[in-house]
Amino acid sequence: MAPIVEVDRLSKSFGHVHALNEISLSVAEGEVFGFLGPNGAGKTTTIRILLGLQHADSGTAKVGGFDCWTAHAKAARLLGATLEQPALYGFLSGRDNLRLFARLLGAVDEKQISELLDLVGMTERGDDKVKRYSMGMRQRLALAQAMLGKPKLLILDEPTNGLDPNGIHGLRILLRKLADEGMTIFFSSHLLSEVEELCDRVVVLHRGEVKAAGPLSELMNVRGFHFRIDVSDVDKAMDIIRSIDGATVEPGTIKDSITVNSQTDLARSINHALVAAGIGVDQLVRTQRGLEDVYIELTGVAPGSPLSAPPPPPPPPPLPAGGLTP
Amino acid sequence: MTLFISLVRIELVKTWRSRWIVFAVMGGLFVLIAGGLYTYYVISQQRWSPPPAVAWQTTLRQEIAANHQSITQLQQIKQTQPSGGFRGGFSIDDEIKREQQAIADDQYLLDNNIAPLQSFSITLAALFAMGGIVMFLLIRIFGWLASEQIAGERSDRTIAILLSRPMSRDQLLLAKAVASFLISLAVVVVTFLVVYAMVAFIEGSVGPIDGQVAIAADGSKAVGAGNLVVMPILLFVLMCIGAAMLGVLCVEGMSLLVSVVTGRWAAVGITLAVLFGAPLVSGVVTVIITLISGSRANAHFLNYFFVNVLAPVSSIAPVLANGPASAGTGMNEFAAQIATLTVWTVAFFAAAWLLFHRRQETG
Repeated sequence: MAPIVEVDRLSKSFGHVHALNEISLSVAEGEVFGFLGPNGAGKTTTIRILLGLQHADSGTAKVGGFDCWTAHAKAARLLGATLEQPALYGFLSGRDNLRLFARLLGAVDEKQISELLDLVGMTERGDDKVKRYSMGMRQRLALAQAMLGKPKLLILDEPTNGLDPNGIHGLRILLRKLADEGMTIFFSSHLLSEVEELCDRVVVLHRGEVKAAGPLSELMNVRGFHFRIDVSDVDKAMDIIRSIDGATVEPGTIKDSITVNSQTDLARSINHALVAAGIGVDQLVRTQRGLEDVYIELTGVAPGSPLSAPPPPPPPPPLPAGGLTP
Repeated sequence: MTLFISLVRIELVKTWRSRWIVFAVMGGLFVLIAGGLYTYYVISQQRWSPPPAVAWQTTLRQEIAANHQSITQLQQIKQTQPSGGFRGGFSIDDEIKREQQAIADDQYLLDNNIAPLQSFSITLAALFAMGGIVMFLLIRIFGWLASEQIAGERSDRTIAILLSRPMSRDQLLLAKAVASFLISLAVVVVTFLVVYAMVAFIEGSVGPIDGQVAIAADGSKAVGAGNLVVMPILLFVLMCIGAAMLGVLCVEGMSLLVSVVTGRWAAVGITLAVLFGAPLVSGVVTVIITLISGSRANAHFLNYFFVNVLAPVSSIAPVLANGPASAGTGMNEFAAQIATLTVWTVAFFAAAWLLFHRRQETG
């Protein structure tokens, strides 16, 4: 399929900070595309460039073949977007917000607005002022706003922010349905399980550079073999496996289990070595690496960990000698 | 074009839905002021209805008689005070000259059947509504509302959604400017009509809307054939509304310029600080210059600063009242202020357009 999003050697700096460093990616029409990376990786900057809110220092970003900055109006006609913080008019009702944004696209289609409210589960609260909405409700209404006019491309920047588990489940079903209907979804999220479940292809961005790109299945399997082994003596088993060429071992997350990684299939060798050493092997399972493992390996940062958060503010200045009392 | 009309409509709806309370308060103030004035009228005049209207010729003749009386009194004072002066630098001779000039001016108008500016309810209302304290306050309210136009969207983060939609930044900025202008135009016209109704009541008549009025070109000089601009009443009223709206446009340009580079509260703060603070500073500077140089005319250069000429009608309001006005009044000054405002307005909008065009929305 022809790419609907084409980003070619895109660079962007803010002062001395290089937010994007010659990143390239493309998204085919009808694809569900995951855009991953820790905070500050450059995801939102890329999305802002695609939306025409910022222009790149060099390189190009195109949607449907139209440059996102110089032919913004044409590119924008093909897409709908939600941003990290749902942006809506608090003094208007949910329905009026949709009417207002629909007017920007041409005529107001009341039937479509009602359908969208229904789709995001906001029919009952549609006539309430948005300022009375919870974060999750705003997020859902923002999603309905993005879907106005049935765009070819849906760009979602952290759409699960503020959603409760039910909301996340509902969003997953909705996005799957939209994808099945042929809508292209460009999906940025910290929730790797969502990306893993929904996306056909991902790009992992770190410090403004593309660290990995490709179909999810390839990304998770390309880097060797992985085993979970439940044993009677973890320490002894780890010592034995360390002596096998090409195997790395670490304690598993479950009690009495270990995790072994290798570039070649060592299942039989490992099993043989353990049994020969008199260690009871309760089970040896070949596991697929999760997206989280790949993500940590590529970025060195666990999603949602303190390391992925922005740097903390500087400590307050020390109190003057003598304390607060004059 | 359809998209642009939609945009303007959206901006009107947003302003009304988010700021209706401002318009409600303004309406309430009108009612209170009108009610208060009427109550004052009833108590002071001891009557419920306005007095019969007086023809402008009669008023002028009464003024001439009053001026003659003043001259007689001044001459009597002069005989009892041989030093011949008042305190504060004014001499009795100067006062007598002013009174004589006023008589000559009024007589010229009577002889040539030219009505002075303030002769009719509608012209009086135009002068008061567009050139006085009402316009001073309205302009500041319009400045405040316009300063929120882009900055408010930025603070609410809705600017990102708007700009990600299929329209250009030029269209959005122009739509916001047009919407701000239309709202202020509606308020100014309503204000004018309310003031007209009040003046008509006090004057005892709505007065004619055809006929002609005269304005001195230089208010400080004697009225005569070479120092009068005569125009139809309705044209004069339209000119006043046009001049008022140019002042409004200038302020909205400045407010939009501030709005494209800041957030909501910074924009409102800066705009109101400039609109209230700058006239105050100018006033102080004027006093200092006048005290040092001995002439207020030396501070006239401050009128090249937009804040000091936002209500150009105020420069023609004092002329031909009853006697020569001070320097810096009349049609010449009015035209100079219009030119000043035009230059500032174009500069503000051009700067706002340039900055908004290049602005990177990172918030």
